Amino acid sequence: MPELLDPADPRGGDRAVAPDRSQFTPTVAPPGPSVGIAPPLPRAFGPSLLLFEQVSKWYGPVIGVNQVTLELRPGITGLVGSNGAGKSTLMRLATGHLRPDLGKVSVCGLDAWNADAKRHVGYCPDTDAFYEEMSGRQFVEVMARLCGYSRRDARRRTEETLERVGMAGRCERKIRGYSKGMRQRIKLAQALVHEPELLVLDEPLSGIDPIGRQEFIVLFRQLAAQGKCLLVSSHELEELEKLTDHVAIMARGRIAAVGTVPQIRELLDNHPLSIRIQSDQTRALAGDLLQLPDVVGVELGERDNLTVRARNPKQFFSAFMRLVLEENYQVGHLETLDDSTHAVLEYLLGGK
Amino acid sequence: MGPTLLNYRPWRGEFHAPAWSFWPIARVALSMMFRRKLFWAIYAFGLLSFLVFFFGQYLLAWADSQAEGEYVNVMGSRLQAGTLTNQLRTVMRLNGTGETYRNFFAYQGYMVMIVLALAGTMVVGNDFQHRSLPFYLSKPLSPWHYLMGKCLAVAVFVNLMTTLPAVILFFQYRTLYSWGYLPDELSLLVGILGYGLVLTVFLSLTLVAVACWLRKTVPLIMVWTTMFFMMRPLSNTLVDGLRYDPRWRLIDLWNNTYLMGNYFLGLHPANQPEWYEAALVLALVCALCLSYLTLRIRAVEIVR
Repeated sequence: MPELLDPADPRGGDRAVAPDRSQFTPTVAPPGPSVGIAPPLPRAFGPSLLLFEQVSKWYGPVIGVNQVTLELRPGITGLVGSNGAGKSTLMRLATGHLRPDLGKVSVCGLDAWNADAKRHVGYCPDTDAFYEEMSGRQFVEVMARLCGYSRRDARRRTEETLERVGMAGRCERKIRGYSKGMRQRIKLAQALVHEPELLVLDEPLSGIDPIGRQEFIVLFRQLAAQGKCLLVSSHELEELEKLTDHVAIMARGRIAAVGTVPQIRELLDNHPLSIRIQSDQTRALAGDLLQLPDVVGVELGERDNLTVRARNPKQFFSAFMRLVLEENYQVGHLETLDDSTHAVLEYLLGGK
Repeated sequence: MGPTLLNYRPWRGEFHAPAWSFWPIARVALSMMFRRKLFWAIYAFGLLSFLVFFFGQYLLAWADSQAEGEYVNVMGSRLQAGTLTNQLRTVMRLNGTGETYRNFFAYQGYMVMIVLALAGTMVVGNDFQHRSLPFYLSKPLSPWHYLMGKCLAVAVFVNLMTTLPAVILFFQYRTLYSWGYLPDELSLLVGILGYGLVLTVFLSLTLVAVACWLRKTVPLIMVWTTMFFMMRPLSNTLVDGLRYDPRWRLIDLWNNTYLMGNYFLGLHPANQPEWYEAALVLALVCALCLSYLTLRIRAVEIVR
C-alpha cells in the first residue's frame, strides 16, 4: 500500500506516490537517500518525458528542492503547493534554468541543463516581462528564431501558433497595449512555437477571462491528447481541477504526493473521508453504518442529515451500496465533503 | 481555436546550432535601441564629427586642386587657400595618415560612450530588471549565447559609430587623392580595423558586465562616467600636474584604448605609457568582466 510523504519527515528522500491512472502506474519511491526512481512504467505508455532523480537544489543555506524523485509522462499534471514549497524551483529545474546541486533532471532522456533538451521544452513563465515595443508577432518570431528555425520556418510557425492560441487577429499590436489575457496567450504562443513535447506552464490561466480559460483548457487537453506532457502550476485550484485531476503536491521542497486527487485522498489515513447523507431513517442508518469496518464515526445532523467519516472510500461506498439495497434505505442526497483538491491540499499541508 | 488548427506539420528539417541565436538576440537589442528617438538624436549628433571629417577632406581636396593661390571666404573671413589647407592638415590632421583616423576615433569615442551609457540598461539591464531572461533561457541556448548576443549588439553599434565611418573616410581620402604604396595603405586599413576591434571587444564586454551588475540607468551612467570620463582629468593631474610617472595614465581606460589605437596605426604619442602596458590593463579589465559574467551566468539561475 503506498503511503504519503510527511513533508517534515526527517528520513530524507521522497516517497512520491503516483497512484494508478490511465498513463501512470502506481509508484512509491521508498524513503532514504538510496532510493531509486519510480519503477519503470509499462512500455506501452512510452518513455518518460520529464524525470527527476533524487534532485536537490540549494540557494545558499536554503534548500529549494529536497531529494525529489518524480517521473512525468504524457498527460496533464497540476503542480500545487503553498508559497515557498519549491514549485518554481522545480519548474526551473525542468526547464533548464537551474542546475541541480544533487541528482539529475532529464527531459526526453537528455540532461535538462543541455541546450538540446530545451528543444523539447516549452516554458510559459508567470512573469509578464516582454519587450513592450514589439508586436506579439515579432516577439513570437524572435523566440522561434532562437529555437533554431530559419526565418521562413520561424514565420510560418509563428503564424500557426498565433492562430492556435487565438491571437492571429491581434498580433500586430504592440505588446504594450495588450491586456493580461492577451499577454498570457502570447506567452503560451512562444512556449508552443517549437512544438515541444514537454510544456511547463506557470499560472497559465491567471488573468484570462472565462471564455479564454475554457479555450485554454480545451487546448491543453488537446495537447495532452497529442502525447505531450504538461506540467501546470496554479494557485487557482478550481481551475486546475477542471483541467486535470492528476496533481503533484509540493511541500517544503519535496513532492508530498503525486496522483489523482481521489487516489491521494484515499491515502490520507489520518483524515477519513467525510460524507453527508440525507435519509429519512438517519438513526437506523447511522447504527448500521457504524457496523461497517471502514466507518470511523457518524454524526447526526439537522434535517435528516448525517455525516459519516470513513476510511478506504472504495470499500466504504461498495459496502454502503450493499447496505442501502439490503435494508432498503431511502437516500435523498449523498455528497463527499472533503475530497476536493483544496481539501486534500489542506490536509496534506496541515492547513497551511 | 478549432481542432483543425491543432495539427502542426511535423518539423523535419535541421535546427540551427545555438550559436545562430547570437544574431536574433543582437537584433532584438539593436531594435530596442533604434526604436528610441533619443538614440537617433544622439546618433545623428555623434555623426557630426564624421561629417566634419568627411566634408573637411572634400574641402581640402577642393582647396588643393581648385583654389591654389586664390583667396577663399571661410566663415566671413578671407583666407588664402594655402593657409586653409595648411590649417586643415596641421590642426585637424586631415592628411590621410594614421593621425586622421586616430583623432576621428578619439572624437567619435566620446559620443559612443554617451550612447552606450544610455543604452546599457536598454540592451542588457532591463532583461535582468524586468525578468525577461526566462524567455531567452528556456530556448535551446546557453546563458553564454545570450551574453554573446548582447555583446554582438553593442559591437554592431560601436562599429557603426567608429570603424565603419573611419573606413569610409579612409577610402574617401584615397578616392580624392591617390592610393599610396599599397602595403602602407593596407597597413593603415588594418590599423583602423585593429583600433575598431579593440574598442569593440573592450566596450562590449565592459558594457554588458556593468549593465548586468547595475541594471538601472542612473547608476550605470554614474559608473560609466567615472570609468571613462573622470579618470582622464585625474590621470592628467597626476602625470602633468604632479609629475607622477606616465604609467599613472593607465588608470584612464579610454586613454588605454587610445594607446592601443596608436599602436595599430603606427603612432607613438609622447609622455604616455607603452602600448603593451595599456594592452595589459585592458586585458585585465576584460578578464575581470568575463569573470564577473561567468559568476553572473551561474547566478542567473537565482536572479530574482
